[in-house]
Amino acid sequence: MSRLALVLLMMASPATWAQEKLAVGIITSLSGPMAAPGKFQMNGFRLAEEEINSGGGFTVGGRKYAIELKVYDTRANPAEGASAMQRLATVDRVPVVLGELHSGVAAAAAPVAQDYSIPLMLTIPTGPSLTEQGNRFLFRVNANNDQLTQALAEFIARQGWAPLSFIAWNNDAGRGGVNGMKKLLGEAKIGYVGYFNVGEVDFSSHVTNIRSQNARAVMLLMDEEPGSLAIKQIRDAGLKTQLVGTLAMGSDRFLKRLDAQRLDGMVQYNAFPPNANLPHIRAFSERYSKKYGEEAHGFAAQSYDGLKIAVAALQKAGKVDGAALRDALAAIEYDGVIGKVKFDAKGQAHPPVYVTQWCADGKRRILHPENLKADCGAG
Amino acid sequence: MLSAILEQTINGLMAGSVYVLVALGMVLIYGVMHVLNFAHGVLLMVGAYVCHFFFTRVTGSYVLSIALAIIVLCLLGIALERAVFRPLQGNLRNQVIASLGLILAIEHLVIAVWGPNALQMKVPATSALVAVGELRFPVQHLLVIGVTLVVVAILFVFLKTSKFGTAIRATSQDRQAAMVVGIPVERIDWITFGLGTALAALGGALIGPLFLVFPQMGDAPMVKGLAGILLGGMGSVPGAVIGGFIIGVAESLSTLFMPTDYRDSVAFAIMVLILLVWPRGLFGVRVRGED
Repeated sequence: MSRLALVLLMMASPATWAQEKLAVGIITSLSGPMAAPGKFQMNGFRLAEEEINSGGGFTVGGRKYAIELKVYDTRANPAEGASAMQRLATVDRVPVVLGELHSGVAAAAAPVAQDYSIPLMLTIPTGPSLTEQGNRFLFRVNANNDQLTQALAEFIARQGWAPLSFIAWNNDAGRGGVNGMKKLLGEAKIGYVGYFNVGEVDFSSHVTNIRSQNARAVMLLMDEEPGSLAIKQIRDAGLKTQLVGTLAMGSDRFLKRLDAQRLDGMVQYNAFPPNANLPHIRAFSERYSKKYGEEAHGFAAQSYDGLKIAVAALQKAGKVDGAALRDALAAIEYDGVIGKVKFDAKGQAHPPVYVTQWCADGKRRILHPENLKADCGAG
Repeated sequence: MLSAILEQTINGLMAGSVYVLVALGMVLIYGVMHVLNFAHGVLLMVGAYVCHFFFTRVTGSYVLSIALAIIVLCLLGIALERAVFRPLQGNLRNQVIASLGLILAIEHLVIAVWGPNALQMKVPATSALVAVGELRFPVQHLLVIGVTLVVVAILFVFLKTSKFGTAIRATSQDRQAAMVVGIPVERIDWITFGLGTALAALGGALIGPLFLVFPQMGDAPMVKGLAGILLGGMGSVPGAVIGGFIIGVAESLSTLFMPTDYRDSVAFAIMVLILLVWPRGLFGVRVRGED
């Protein structure tokens, strides 16, 4: 009975049935410390795959293809990233590889892409140096840390939030972020800077220092888990200071860790406001929540766009070949869910960066960029 | 500045309380069995997970969950003593290696069961805020300090006045002499081990709601607790209490005038300084036959 159902199902969707498959490589974290964000990435790819195939596939050089994803788990481990990339190039012989979350893994995989002349399209890693290595086969769909900080610094300067204090990871990301803001805002605008080690959960000493230095605003350069603890401890200690957060702190998932009262007024930079009143974002968010039953996530949107761009470039290239695809990518202009994507000479795209703010009712609004400002519920 | 000092002192006492609970368990076990159980930190972590499990899945009562976590971990401690430490008795090196191995085994078991991501434990009753002047603290914060002080007091009375307590002290003073006067030292071993792990479980259950419950949460308390033990004097119960609190308060106060990422270095620098002046620690006694 179930076999019959399967046969019927296959007959019902002839688009995926009769077509030749074109394999595309995916590297991501299905397990390990980045498994949770890895899921968003895969959700984005799967959604794009489903849409491309149910729409009848695509034509490259007169032949019709359906897309097939070859997925490898890199577990946030650079060695795994390089070997998965190698395998995709030599065994699976894919024309393009997409994905990855971890900048270290991406850095290990990128040279392999160049060696085999296969484009690697990153959709999440934010380490700025990745696209500074002169690697012609590396492309990045998402904004990098420098672009994100730049937007936030402009916004903070406009608000006149000085002195700006920091609680930051005691690592590359944290120290790099603080130095970036120092450069953009000027040393004079920076107040207390406190670093904490990965795994630390007690932020009370930072809270005391921020209080005694009368910081106008405090920026939390960290991800969800410590972020929620830091905010809880800051608010519980009665500090009213303005909170400034990162990408990880502008989602419903983050709200669930805390509550609207503690988050009220906090701003954060964001690559994708899922409720923005823009038609392409609206449409994507609706499809996403229908399929996955949760709020759309920026990582998913970036990855969704990544696969769509790869397919568009393949069509333009006119043949299934890594080098030809590279040239097509370098020239492509694509209107994606995250905005206009056009790669610069270094392979870096420049999608819009948003600053969103939490409202008292647990919704978000867009404060930056000016032309996309939107009220509570649209962030 | 005064309120900053007050705030950091209370924060330090809170952190110190957890170090004290870990240190007490380790020092009791060390006294009786002469083995440093390096797995004590992961037992604190397991205590927090067990408490989280009972709180979110079974009872919904925080107090009851703490009690259940203490009982479960006490039994786990007894089982570990029987299965791991007793067969290796008399071989200190193997016992230490076994306790290091336990860290890996237990931590990965916890990751296999509960996953690698941190769990939240929201206890509404203790998240209310108490105002102290312009400062505010969650009730949980003060609860950690209060419960620790009470437990320390009870433990002292137990060790000083009860028959079991006296037997534990006798065994840790001289195992053979204790046997001669008829103390069942093997029974004392497992009772002490159970008691020690129960204290760790209490520590884990107390800090779970304040921070998060995650696989590495016991690492820092174990290392700082050990520093407290060394500072207070190896084998001394009052030393473990004073030592744990000193480490906690000192590292908290240091952050007022030094970068916060130095706080760990401060804790250990103080330990080294005190050991330079009093090589046996603050309350350490010279034991015949040593050095």
